[in-house]
Amino acid sequence: MASTNPALRYQVLRIYKELLFMGRDYPLGYEYYRTRLHKAFFSQRGIDDPEKIKAGIKRAEFVKKEIEALYFLKRYRTLRKRYNQS
Amino acid sequence: MFRTALFRSARQAVRAAPRCQTAIARPVVPRSLFQQKQIAPAAYFQAVRCYSASAGLSKDEVEGRIMDLLKNFDKVTDTSKLNSASHFHNDLGLDSLDTVEVVMAIEEEFSIEIPDKEADAIHSVKQAVDYIVAQPDGEDAPAPH
Repeated sequence: MASTNPALRYQVLRIYKELLFMGRDYPLGYEYYRTRLHKAFFSQRGIDDPEKIKAGIKRAEFVKKEIEALYFLKRYRTLRKRYNQS
Repeated sequence: MFRTALFRSARQAVRAAPRCQTAIARPVVPRSLFQQKQIAPAAYFQAVRCYSASAGLSKDEVEGRIMDLLKNFDKVTDTSKLNSASHFHNDLGLDSLDTVEVVMAIEEEFSIEIPDKEADAIHSVKQAVDYIVAQPDGEDAPAPH
């Protein structure tokens, strides 16, 4: 991994960090999230092609948006449940 | 006999009560010079470290905190290899992603933010300790102008 483009490497590590940070409030727990995230990144470790790495980063950005959406949905559902209780 | 004892203890309690009160709610106007002296002993402030004081983090303390952090990190299975010189990858068997996690934990532990480039250069406990100690809070920090 060190042999590849350092700029891309930083980008990958940054998005990894951001995703880790977002997993703090994951509904199934941080441990669950962290192991999954690690596995997902680890499975892509053989990629050398810069284009493919860029595509991977794009995918990571997409996943980040998905997680964000998940949180919003969870909040929405919780609030709706509370308001409809009475 | 019993009645006098009771009376005495009640009188003592009455006498003690206002003393307690003054200790809890200190009057704004000091009642006597003697009392004022009692409240503020000279050594009181020495236990408090001012925020502006330098050299807050000693190297040993930093090392201890990082070791504790690594001990609690679940990917580190072999704690016997954990010492101040251990390398994250070679000794502890962490990959580069785990290293990112460790650096993130260190950032949180010391409430600082390590830039990407410097974070990428941290590969061992010693490097991490050196980096933290070189920070403005640490011992080896360059003196402020």
